[in-house]
Amino acid sequence: MTVSTDSDAAAEAAASVNGNKPARAHRGWFLVAAALLVGTLLGLGIGLVIPHLRTPGDDSVEAGFLRDMAVHHAQAVEMSMIAHQKSDDAQIVYLANDIALTQHGQIGYMQAWLRDWHLDLTSTRQPMSWMPDSQGSVVNGLMPGMATPAQLAALRQATGKDLDVQYLTLMRAHHLGGIHMAQEAEKLSHNDDVTWLAGTMVASQQSEITLIDDLLKKLQAA
Amino acid sequence: MSTPGPERVPSTVKVDKTSGQGKPPASKAGAAKPGAAKPGAAKPGAAKPGAAKPGAAKPGSRPGAAKAGGGKGRKTIAPVKVSGGRSWGPIAVIGLVAVVALGIIGFGVFSVVRGSRDWTDKVADIAGVVNYRAQKNALIDARDHKDGTLTYVTSPPVGGAHNATPQNCNGDVYDAPIANEHAVHSLEHGAVWITYKQGLAADQVAVLAKKVQGQDYSFMSPYAGLDKNVSVQVWGYQLKTDDVNDSRIDEFIKDTRVVAALEPGISCSGGNTTTGPVTAAANGTGMTGS
Repeated sequence: MTVSTDSDAAAEAAASVNGNKPARAHRGWFLVAAALLVGTLLGLGIGLVIPHLRTPGDDSVEAGFLRDMAVHHAQAVEMSMIAHQKSDDAQIVYLANDIALTQHGQIGYMQAWLRDWHLDLTSTRQPMSWMPDSQGSVVNGLMPGMATPAQLAALRQATGKDLDVQYLTLMRAHHLGGIHMAQEAEKLSHNDDVTWLAGTMVASQQSEITLIDDLLKKLQAA
Repeated sequence: MSTPGPERVPSTVKVDKTSGQGKPPASKAGAAKPGAAKPGAAKPGAAKPGAAKPGAAKPGSRPGAAKAGGGKGRKTIAPVKVSGGRSWGPIAVIGLVAVVALGIIGFGVFSVVRGSRDWTDKVADIAGVVNYRAQKNALIDARDHKDGTLTYVTSPPVGGAHNATPQNCNGDVYDAPIANEHAVHSLEHGAVWITYKQGLAADQVAVLAKKVQGQDYSFMSPYAGLDKNVSVQVWGYQLKTDDVNDSRIDEFIKDTRVVAALEPGISCSGGNTTTGPVTAAANGTGMTGS
């Protein structure tokens, strides 16, 4: 509407007042230049900000889960390395090998994503704080399913069948705690990478629990 | 919130302009305006409720009568005023957009720069931290594996040749002094080692233990002959303080744990878990269990 009147007016202006022409042309160029500059700056700004809006932030469920699960996994590696070194049962040695290598590899995934998102690999936040209703689940800094220092010391001292039973029992509890965390992350997160990895943790650890139960039964029958 | 604002402004600006176009001839203003002024007055009223655009657009198009009537008068005199008045609208809009754009850029640059800051910059910014990596001391930078008792240039050590077996650093809290030779190997793996003066009060030790328990890539032990109550170190960086509640301890841990590793991805498991000086049994390349 206004445009049509303006063009009318412009036509009139061009016809009637010649002296105004250069000034108007200058202003037109100025406006074009200003619009280009603003557009470029806007584009730059948006380009800088959007990648940061698309990756999880420092206090996100994803960051909390990856940091906590890396620590949780590390203890599974610890216990499995002990069993791998000391067990005389080939099946347990292989299970321990499998758990240690898988979980250590997954720690690598989790830390790499945190690095990709320009986030710290660690946090001073209380463990599990990304999970709703998790108050009280952390005892002496240990997340659900984690073995206490005393249990680890006992595992290091144990040998033979005693070692195998202790390892399987601790690992079973550890997996249950880990599965619970991974299920929550799968539910709460909207990041495809995180939900994928959490999903594989749930599936593989659940099948390992079945294997652990079989091994425990066998040991107790022997 | 942001969109209604800028959009509301230009719409009212336009209104003012159209009525302003009629203004100049004072005589016509009386005749032309009443027609133009009414929709103009209706617009602000319509703009406020929030349905600004459709509401404002209709009254703007309606005064066909005003255009027809007032248009005649406008055509002759308006142009000069139009050119003067018109440029302010775009300038205001561009100015606003520019401010928003600059704000976004400012935030973007700020977050990118801040996010990409290296951990070494962060830890070096903590008051009181000694940066031994910057000193290029060959005795501290050495990373070879050596058997037996070794001597270190700092107390506690922050780097140098070490035993082949690391000290377990999976959140382990040791209640007696441990061998430097094992501990330095754990620093190479990215662990934070909290040491405290031997004989420190139990409640203060408990404060420090809380920072370690359940935290992978950290371990803690008393240290004989420590010159301060607490010394926290990773490979090449050290912070000493007398206060166990010093917030710089947490800052130091947050900035260095895991990332200080010279061998990223290596585990803190499978190391020596005993206390006391290095033994002949810990020599060689084997990992000792107990």
